[in-house]
Amino acid sequence: MAATVASTQAIPPGLHPLQAAALRAAAAAAASSGQQQQAQQPQQRAVDQEPFDPATAGKLTVHDFVRVRTLGTGTFARVCLVRPSHGTEGDRSRVYALKILRKTEVIKLKQLDHVRHEREILASVRGHPFIINSLASFADADFLYFLLEYVPGGELFTYLRKFRRFDEDTARFYAAEIVLILEHLHEQLGGIAYRDMKPENLLLDAEGHIKLVDFGFAKRLGNNESGHPVETYTLCGTPEYLAPEVIHNKGHTTAVDWWACGILIYEFLTGYPPFWHQNPIEIYKQYDIILQFCTVDRSRRLGNISGGSARVKAHPFFAGVDWDAVYHKRRRGPIIPPVRYPGDAQCFDIYPEEDGIKEEYTEEMRGRYEDYFRDF
Amino acid sequence: MSSSSFTSPFGANSNPFGSSRLDTSGAMQRVAEEDENDTITSPTTPHFGQSSGNNSLFRGPFGGDGSSEHSGLRSPPNPEGYPAQYNFGRRTSVSAESLKPVADSYDNWTPPVHPKTPERLARLKQAISGNFLFSHLDEEQSSQVLGALVEKPIPTKGIKVITQGDAGDFFYVVETGSFDVYVNPRGSLQPGLDGMGQNVGRIEAGGSFGELALMYNAPRAATVISAEPHCTLWALDRVTFRRILMESTFARRRMYEGFLEEVPLLASLTPYERSKIADALESQKFPTGHTIIREGDPGHSFYLLESGEAVAYRSGNDTSVKQYRKGDFFGELALLNDAPRAASVVSQTEVKVARLGKSAFQRLLGPVEGIMRRTKYVGVKTGVEEMDPLQTA
Repeated sequence: MAATVASTQAIPPGLHPLQAAALRAAAAAAASSGQQQQAQQPQQRAVDQEPFDPATAGKLTVHDFVRVRTLGTGTFARVCLVRPSHGTEGDRSRVYALKILRKTEVIKLKQLDHVRHEREILASVRGHPFIINSLASFADADFLYFLLEYVPGGELFTYLRKFRRFDEDTARFYAAEIVLILEHLHEQLGGIAYRDMKPENLLLDAEGHIKLVDFGFAKRLGNNESGHPVETYTLCGTPEYLAPEVIHNKGHTTAVDWWACGILIYEFLTGYPPFWHQNPIEIYKQYDIILQFCTVDRSRRLGNISGGSARVKAHPFFAGVDWDAVYHKRRRGPIIPPVRYPGDAQCFDIYPEEDGIKEEYTEEMRGRYEDYFRDF
Repeated sequence: MSSSSFTSPFGANSNPFGSSRLDTSGAMQRVAEEDENDTITSPTTPHFGQSSGNNSLFRGPFGGDGSSEHSGLRSPPNPEGYPAQYNFGRRTSVSAESLKPVADSYDNWTPPVHPKTPERLARLKQAISGNFLFSHLDEEQSSQVLGALVEKPIPTKGIKVITQGDAGDFFYVVETGSFDVYVNPRGSLQPGLDGMGQNVGRIEAGGSFGELALMYNAPRAATVISAEPHCTLWALDRVTFRRILMESTFARRRMYEGFLEEVPLLASLTPYERSKIADALESQKFPTGHTIIREGDPGHSFYLLESGEAVAYRSGNDTSVKQYRKGDFFGELALLNDAPRAASVVSQTEVKVARLGKSAFQRLLGPVEGIMRRTKYVGVKTGVEEMDPLQTA
């Protein structure tokens, strides 16, 4: 609690206020045979008596909270578990998540528009059962803050990696909650695209239900004048989850979230996304060839469209392939099997030598079926 | 079957692959029943959440089928478990600069043009043609991109063009000379003699590198250094590239929406529905004299004329029955029924049309009949089908 009292002691510049506060607290604790702290306590107690509810308190500052610990860090944000620094004992026992964005990073990473969208959209999604509830936003000289409800179950990502994959019922359970989230964002709120669906952004509450967090890339596509969603062009998301229209800069809409939903269900069921590579550029190249083959609409399936296999051979994936050389085996295979002699079977798995089937081929069967075997 | 050698990056207690696969039955049977016999654990097996000991916990609202604990189990792609190199860590979000089309932001932007000889243009075009970022561009976008490439002479050997780990803003095409590619396994250039890491390849004339920078600002994956003197590179920056694509896409979509607004059959569509349809239109080019639709053929698509001119003919009638110019449309009744085309439409110049298939329309908006029912479609202006005699076919 001492941490919230303003201190003039030297704190490294540029440090986040909560970090600075934590440093001060540590320093105070270290110095404490109690003198410093005791000197501050009376002042503290006077404040403590006033009830404090951050959701209704009006203008908040970071000094209204003390940091318990960091829950996660992102490219330009940090999320901390916090408690109110004052209020009744009940008030102070409550916990919240405080998302902290450094203004200079927001500017440097050109996220000014995104941060403004995040604030507006967080406010408008309040109250949905599967979306994080934001309580307030505020700012100080160097930082922007979002005060959010604390969702104690952690990331669905952690569970997915721990259990490697989910069975179909489990995947369906989460997917169903996600569908309701997207329905709400896309259809009930007038065209909000979320744009960063992934297990890392899905938290579990204490009852095991999903809470969608991080609206840093969410955007309202509904245009206020005409009321209809307008496509948007800024590339954002997570490489493994980016829809093709985003990669190709064709302008995208809420449809990108449904693409991500498909990737998500795939990752739930298998444990890894369908397209992945250490070098993201390779992910985007994979789409091009795989999705052209794996197309339900046969009138669009590569190989089946006009041009047939010639179109397959001409695809950039096969750029540089000399098809004649392929046919004539002019290149050695990339894997040389460890074959030691012509009859070597070590490259095969071992199978039982008997199939255990003892059924007799009867006269009756011979009469009925022998004709089918006559060409043998 | 051997037990798995896969070690979880998340600690021993979380690796559910320690147990071996059951192999009691015959091999043939095993293949056939792999799903059932696969003992790889999932949340429904006792390995999962041992403290709870309650499988139904994860059954969710859709369970209740009473099926065994094996339901929904999946075999991994190979018995050993998982793709070896997959990074199971948290994935970082990426984002490009937020861009708004000119029409929205009222600033004046035209793509930069750095003039080039036709031979040079042809070489550069060839160099980028195989790249997935450029293979989807239309002609106009492609020529704007080529025009925007700016020359970067590299006079001497040993110049680092891009440095592993640095932020990347440019994509490069090699016109002359060659470049060596180095990757340091630590992810960035390190100080010292071997700081560039290992030489992993060479990029020759006609090659290119750094394309990820055209998508978003990500650290460079390699260091690229000139391998000889007098190299010539051509560079393109992300914002220019993305703006070229965005402006032309944005303009075309608004044009399509404008055209669609004029189609009486689609008059009852909401602006949102029109924008969805605009999204599904496919641009096609035809030379002069091409028969775009043929009288008597079954109609599957609707066409908007984007540029050029076309005429409609009916059999037994040498003179054209209708002229089409930019913004005109034809074949829209194909969206409504399967009646044969009432006339042929032939291009009079080189034309560009935007095509919408009936199936695409229905996939997006449902049956046209439902849309039609919203307003009465009587006596309104149509494309070629407005001429009654043609429609009786």
